[in-house]
Amino acid sequence: MDTGSHLPKTGMIGELSETRYWIYLLLLPSLVIILLVIAYPTIYGMAISFREMRLTRPGLTGWVGFKHYLVMIDDPVFWVALKNTVLWVTFAVVLELGLGFIAATALNRNVPGTGIFAVLILVPYFLPNVVAGHMWALLLDPRLGVINDILVRVGVLGSYKAWFADPNTALAATIFVEAWHGFPFFALLLLAGLKGIPHDLYKAAAVDGAGPIAQFRLITVPMLKSVIAAAVILRVISLVNSPDLLLILTGGGPGDATQVLSLYAFQTAYKDFNFGYASALSVVMFVILMVFAYAYIRLSKIGQE
Amino acid sequence: MATLSLQNVQKSYGGLQVLHGIDVELEDGGFLVLLGPSGCGKSTLLNLIAGLDDISAGDIRIDGRSVIELAPKDRNIAMVFQSYALYPTMTVERNIGFGLEMRGVNGNERSAAVKQAADLLQISHLLDRRPANLSGGQRQRVAMGRAIVRNPDLFLFDEPLSNLDAKLRAEMRTEIKRLHGRLGTSVVYVTHDQIEAMTLGTKVAVMKGGYIQQFADPQTIYEKPANIFVAGFIGSPSMNFVTGTLTSDGRIARFEASGVRVEIPSNSDEMFDARPAVLGIRPEELKVDDGESAMLTGTIDVVEPTGPDTMVTVRIGEQPIVARLPSRFSGKAGETVGLIAHVNSMSLFDYQTELRVPL
Amino acid sequence: MQLNRREVLAGATAMALASQLSTARAAGAINYWHHFASQSEMEGLVKIIALFQAKYPGTKVTQEGIPNSEYMAKVSSAVVAGGKPDTGMVITERFADLVAMNGLVDLSARVKAWPGKSSFPDNRWKGLSQDGKIYAVPAFAFVDWMYYRADYFEQAGLSGPPKNFDEFVQAARKLTDPSKGRYAFSMRGGAGAFKYVIDVMEAFGSPIVKDGKPAIDRAAAIEAVTFYSDLFVKEKVVPPSAPNDSYRQIMEAFRTGQTAMVWHHTGSLSEISGALKQGTQFQTAPMPAGPKAQIARVAYAGNGIMKEENIEAAWQWVSFWGEPEAAIVLLEATGYFPASTAALQDPRLTSNKIYDAAVKTLEFGRLPNTFVGAAGWSENVVNPAFQSVLTGQSKPADAVDRMIKGLDAAMR
Repeated sequence: MDTGSHLPKTGMIGELSETRYWIYLLLLPSLVIILLVIAYPTIYGMAISFREMRLTRPGLTGWVGFKHYLVMIDDPVFWVALKNTVLWVTFAVVLELGLGFIAATALNRNVPGTGIFAVLILVPYFLPNVVAGHMWALLLDPRLGVINDILVRVGVLGSYKAWFADPNTALAATIFVEAWHGFPFFALLLLAGLKGIPHDLYKAAAVDGAGPIAQFRLITVPMLKSVIAAAVILRVISLVNSPDLLLILTGGGPGDATQVLSLYAFQTAYKDFNFGYASALSVVMFVILMVFAYAYIRLSKIGQE
Repeated sequence: MATLSLQNVQKSYGGLQVLHGIDVELEDGGFLVLLGPSGCGKSTLLNLIAGLDDISAGDIRIDGRSVIELAPKDRNIAMVFQSYALYPTMTVERNIGFGLEMRGVNGNERSAAVKQAADLLQISHLLDRRPANLSGGQRQRVAMGRAIVRNPDLFLFDEPLSNLDAKLRAEMRTEIKRLHGRLGTSVVYVTHDQIEAMTLGTKVAVMKGGYIQQFADPQTIYEKPANIFVAGFIGSPSMNFVTGTLTSDGRIARFEASGVRVEIPSNSDEMFDARPAVLGIRPEELKVDDGESAMLTGTIDVVEPTGPDTMVTVRIGEQPIVARLPSRFSGKAGETVGLIAHVNSMSLFDYQTELRVPL
Repeated sequence: MQLNRREVLAGATAMALASQLSTARAAGAINYWHHFASQSEMEGLVKIIALFQAKYPGTKVTQEGIPNSEYMAKVSSAVVAGGKPDTGMVITERFADLVAMNGLVDLSARVKAWPGKSSFPDNRWKGLSQDGKIYAVPAFAFVDWMYYRADYFEQAGLSGPPKNFDEFVQAARKLTDPSKGRYAFSMRGGAGAFKYVIDVMEAFGSPIVKDGKPAIDRAAAIEAVTFYSDLFVKEKVVPPSAPNDSYRQIMEAFRTGQTAMVWHHTGSLSEISGALKQGTQFQTAPMPAGPKAQIARVAYAGNGIMKEENIEAAWQWVSFWGEPEAAIVLLEATGYFPASTAALQDPRLTSNKIYDAAVKTLEFGRLPNTFVGAAGWSENVVNPAFQSVLTGQSKPADAVDRMIKGLDAAMR
């Protein structure tokens, strides 16, 4: 390597490193990367939503204004998917938060051996969505499913049930699988949050006469508020955006019973090759998420303290 | 106001015993300091008194009534923590009044009590703030306000001044002393700082390894430490120890070591002949005497003037001791010096058992 | 070691200059995208590559397997973003979309000059051509047929497989016994359901597309959807899990003995033979005839060239798949039917009775519908519409209306 001939250049950068512009220079690479991989695709995606872009129709092209958005208003599948998205995300997050909290509280008692459980409880989260999906498709299988077998043996069910084939149970079953898969995320973050609460606070509350419920309400929840808020936002974003679990378990069926916006956008783009309409769906998801995140942050008052 | 009685209090975690039969009696309005290094069991003992942890054996009585079956809130105690443990989401006013709130005291009565406590602690102007917006000293006052507002039988302090800087610590120490004098409520106070123990306590229990080493008033602890551990733990700079032999004929006890010869009148009938022993002399008791009556003779090693005093390290044989001498001391390193002290201020300990030898 | 900022900068500058990466691929090396996945399919592919390598040592083939369900997503991404492979597998159902997105290179001239062309009658090229231009070389065929449990049929006193839909329903009733957990028919109601929905619609006389225009006959289609969904809704000769059953589930149901009949193509023969005994336990039969037509698809799968660079090497590879030696290797490994007539004469095929149904089907079988937008309409419209009939959420008429509306939108 001939480093010598390039040293003068480095010298110049060296001079620059003593000035206040140095900080901007250091930020430059990440700014460029963010612009390239986040800002540009986002803006491009929004632009496509106002265009006609169907891969299988190279001839059809050009700006169409709000056409896709107007079509969406009359698209019954969009409304079903919107409703399902709200149900799926709400119930999944509530369940995951609840399960995560129980797990975190259990792990937070410094009982010997809980270290192992802490790792075990994280296992579901380590599984990729695809693996978790296929695994649960088998566990809940109407012919071979272990879950069905157990439920029949203990007398809860009369015969094996095809959970994903019945529109009344399909969404609930997928929410159950998602909750199983996602609760360790909450458990992990809440456990970190719980560890950060000084034990003295609970002692003080006990001396002051606050019972377990009052302690939970007045100490644990307020102290975990920012953790919960951050975890919920992250989880909602990832649930709204990732169709993979549903894609494997039901493909949106039966009869749109588990169709959600992300899956609908995915299928529109990669089965219909209608990128314009798919982009419009994505923009709607984006707007909904932005509004949600803003409202949620305002309501939970993160950043006030 | 109440008395406190600890009777054979024991605590084990699994097979590990951390408190071995603690017996302590505190008079009504007394100020008990639990003093010891970290891990000595003093905080565990405090938690047992508070009811935050379950006792393994023994009894705890507040005002003659056994409380070991009672929840912390039913023991009528109040506690101040090292970390202050203020509820971060509540205002100062609600923090102070929280114990009353939980006990169903109505709003007006509560405000009045909070106001009174806040006035006493000079924090009335802070009532609307949240803990995050307070300084360390202010938080400490709020924590104390939370304790006194309930007018409990017993205050429990768990190293309350450890998180403060030196100046504030001295200030708050005085404040606590003033409050105790004014309120007259019995106090149990945990600390590892011997100055706090000496200045605040009416009784001090020096603890180590789950045992009480000595339980007495501060003066006794200072003047007549029960063993080498207590002698070394109390006092700053700490007591000088010189190893030698003790010979006693029942009237006069004679301690000898290289460069040391001390004769102490004895009331004990016990007689020893060259028994291995340790002589303890506090640095502040030593005076210069180069004459015949010098008890310790050695070579000056280091001279450190501190302003009011001069700390002088002297080598007695092979054993260094520190003397706190008046600032006018003019000796130089390398010179020979003779030192004396009043025999009543000296302590003698058995070399083996490290216990005080009564004379 | 302590480095100061200037030293770090000097090092970084030097390293950036040193790391000039070369991405050029050696000439004569091509890559190949396919959606083979099973062990037997991969075994066949590896053997074909070995044969090819022996014949053309100068051309190196790198194969890349892509899950079938993601194949079009990957290819369309590659078309939009760049990064197309040299060659790729093409099945009839996807052919129109691939050509429409400019994913395939016109091979007409090369095919005309190719000596192997004579082994492929015109119908082999039809599904891989558009507007008189040929875009792929046929390699093998999927021939639709029916698998049935010969032993169950015998127990039920049935003399042979059903020849038409009436016989099919009659047999199905006899073969179903929910108390034993046994159902007559593995209906595909989950992913891929559209295929047989469309087939039954055509069997009832409704075309899908005619002359490039949507051509569903509403009345016939409603009749078809009613008949087909009634197997589940009214007759209950289908497992209750049908609305979510896709390939894996229908095959599992058949292999484990839950069902007595399943519709699929020749490609699953080796898988079923692994679980059940040919002849005594299961048999094959042509698809039953509907009231208006007997529908079974013969889908030729081929290989196309996706970009012009390395086209000589790419042509060697895609045309090699059309040679009898490659076709027989694949047949031996997987049971996939050869597309070339030369290979069809092979005694390993003609002597095995299990293939009779397929050979018969070759006489009347038709190509799958291929039109631009077929994949999206089938999976995004036909599937959910039919599922909602199965689950009682809508009536056959509503479902057909949704299909007609969706088809209009897809072809507009």
